[in-house]
Amino acid sequence: MSSAQHPPRVVEAYIGEYASEKSEIAVNRALELVRLGKQVTLVDLDLVEPCYTLRPLKKELERAGMTVLAWETAELIGLGETGNVLKPSTRFCLLRPGDVIMDIGYGISGARVLNLVENAWEDPDLKIYAVINIARPMTATVDQIVDHVRDMGRVDGLINNSHLGDETDVAIVDQGARTVAAASRILGIPVVTTVVAESLAASFGKNDLYGHPVRVIRRYMPRAFW
Amino acid sequence: MAVEIELQPKMPKCWNLASKPHKFCPGCGHGLVLKALGQAIDELGIQDRVVFGCDIGCSLLSWDFFDVDSVQTHHGRTTPVLVGVKRANPDLIVVAYMGDGGGYAIGSQHLVNAANRNDRITAILCNNTIYAMTGGQMAPTSMPGQKTETTPYGRDVNEQGYPMLGPEMVAAITHEGAYVARGTVSKLRTLKGYIKKALENQIAGRGFSFVEALSTCPTNWRTNAQQTWAFLEENMQGYFPVGELKVPADAAGGASEGEEE
Amino acid sequence: MSETSAKPVEGERKVFMTGNEAVCWAALAAGAEIMYGYPITPQNEIMHYWTRNVPKFGRRFLQTEDELSAGFTTIGGVLAGRRAFTATAGPGNVLMQEPLSMAEAMRIPVVVVIQQRGGPSTATVIYSQQEVTLTCFGGNGEGLRIVYSTSSLQELYDYTIKAFNTAWKYRFPTFVLADGYQAKMRESLNIYDPAARGIEMVPTEPFLGRPGKIGEGREAAHLRNTYNIEEELAEVLERDIADYERVAPEIVEHDSFNTGDCDLLVVAHGIVFRSAAMAVRDMAGQGKKIGFFRPITLRPFPEEQFRAAAAKAKTLLVAESAYGQLLKIVQQNLYGSTVPIRTLLKPGVGITPEEITDECSAILAGKGA
Repeated sequence: MSSAQHPPRVVEAYIGEYASEKSEIAVNRALELVRLGKQVTLVDLDLVEPCYTLRPLKKELERAGMTVLAWETAELIGLGETGNVLKPSTRFCLLRPGDVIMDIGYGISGARVLNLVENAWEDPDLKIYAVINIARPMTATVDQIVDHVRDMGRVDGLINNSHLGDETDVAIVDQGARTVAAASRILGIPVVTTVVAESLAASFGKNDLYGHPVRVIRRYMPRAFW
Repeated sequence: MAVEIELQPKMPKCWNLASKPHKFCPGCGHGLVLKALGQAIDELGIQDRVVFGCDIGCSLLSWDFFDVDSVQTHHGRTTPVLVGVKRANPDLIVVAYMGDGGGYAIGSQHLVNAANRNDRITAILCNNTIYAMTGGQMAPTSMPGQKTETTPYGRDVNEQGYPMLGPEMVAAITHEGAYVARGTVSKLRTLKGYIKKALENQIAGRGFSFVEALSTCPTNWRTNAQQTWAFLEENMQGYFPVGELKVPADAAGGASEGEEE
Repeated sequence: MSETSAKPVEGERKVFMTGNEAVCWAALAAGAEIMYGYPITPQNEIMHYWTRNVPKFGRRFLQTEDELSAGFTTIGGVLAGRRAFTATAGPGNVLMQEPLSMAEAMRIPVVVVIQQRGGPSTATVIYSQQEVTLTCFGGNGEGLRIVYSTSSLQELYDYTIKAFNTAWKYRFPTFVLADGYQAKMRESLNIYDPAARGIEMVPTEPFLGRPGKIGEGREAAHLRNTYNIEEELAEVLERDIADYERVAPEIVEHDSFNTGDCDLLVVAHGIVFRSAAMAVRDMAGQGKKIGFFRPITLRPFPEEQFRAAAAKAKTLLVAESAYGQLLKIVQQNLYGSTVPIRTLLKPGVGITPEEITDECSAILAGKGA
């Protein structure tokens, strides 16, 4: 529970493997909170491939009613190579009121990226979620997932986001839920949700086969470049 | 007596105000190195004669940092571009600014040969132990055991070798007239003193001048302020000794010039 | 730097020398102030004769650590406002594409002399026409370059002088493309002071280190070749490409003979053109309906003139000491035409007038495929 001076809020950081759809899930979560009438800040903390994740969507998301902390295209002129530069305001994102959703890129440092965010480790509401897709070869088995999650530092919950893009079927989602659940038992870290795309939502109820709540997402990233 | 209160830290006169605030990350050392360089240019009164060249990597973010003639080049190629400028117009004071990748990896042949030819240029190399702009890969100066995106299990010195000791190498191959030093952004006045002496060495036409600046990259180190400082002061300075390695006999003044208070 | 009184070439006179020397004397006569270079055969004598003349005429030279450096130091020399140049060949030309792509991106008027050698790789130090594609279209860009292909020592002299003016007038990297044969062969030519022929050298100016105080009459220059977003790059490229296409008609040069209504039109460039011209003139003298078209600028290509000539020919023969590098350019510029193209492609090997005569005779006799 949070103190009276610090009313409870949603503070979530999404980490995980390259192309595990951290950004997609973060964007969907932020939009869901906006629809609940909450004040939301979405933060691009991808330091390995920044600018390309949330940038093209920035305006659209802002129109939906949230604050997006990501580089503006115009601000990037002259940055060159990839513009792997931390936007100063992202460092202080947790000092903002309301809910904060952080999209953290892949990389060997995992959750340690949060060292760069003021007050992250003191924030009572912070939840760090690892996004896992068993269709990715480095996180395909229970053992691999256990090693991967242990490598990333503090993780508070696992998200089963197993899919095969346009070829996703119910079987891969179910297999993912089973595998992530097994890893969860070894790690002692709960599975927070199983993510399914809108197109498959009808095949699932409120929970997946293993009782994890199902979160339906819409894919926005095809409109981003990467 | 009236007390003057400065609300803002003073920016060097030769900084380009139109490009401030600068584009480096919070906690990045580049801004400090460039502040030291800016102060040295101001103190020497050479703004109108300086040609500043920057490399690829985060150093390129300085392409419009100064109100001096500037050129952004290719990765590793800032040294030859400015050698070319200096050879074509020796009245100019040229500064080649690069990172550890540009100077010690892809452009190492240029650094070595410009140093050996005793080209009258000033090379300033920012050593932050990592390729930052490309997303945190191993640099020639990455520390033993340091985890990077290309050494995810840590730099193994048996596989990847030891961190490059650049100033030591340059000092070993240069001859009379060269100036070589290693400073750190944690002792900024000393660093400024080294850079100033490096520029004076060029102005006096003595020879090649080279300053490596130990610098910080909290973004890619994934460190908070305390961890950043500890890495710089303990890990890096333990391996990369700070000080002057080569001072021409006829150079004015000693290392005391820029001592910290 | 070049304020010595003596001119390297006074007036005009006939001399006997090698091609590399001709390049050197042309650069001296053109007022080139500094050469940067790295040894590679067959262009070395350009440096040898340049360095011998450096103290006599107040010029400068820097031997660099490699061709990357030779290219980038040349860029530095030009940025400082000097008429600067370099020369290379083969693997050196490969390395030099990196600096040349920067010169192309930033419209830096460098002049580069290429003496083609055999390729790929180290191959031969002797001869080829295999660096056409590399010189015209090397680098990660669109080939916004100007490439003169010479066929004699007189042309080496003429076009080396011209290259400096073209580069500084249009601000595109400019190449004199010759080959190992032209580099080493010796023949007579006229060397001259450009002024004696009424050729005015286009003045140079510094891009960096301009005179005056910053903030009082001049702004600091901030030159770059990096762009973060696609649109920003596209804007620069669209401007440069439009400039290039606008000036191309002023730049293109060609030579042709007997192009009206001929049974066979021989297309060749550089030293192979010399063989082709001899063969074609000889056969035409014997009453054959045969002509030639020779592009002098390979980039930009004299497309309009070439299409007009090809339209009146029954068959084309492309001859080159490469396996289709000129051919590719020819085909591209003939798009839509149905004129048959025959080829005589000898990568890395010279082509004699007799070989061209034999090939032409066979074609005219309706033989061969």
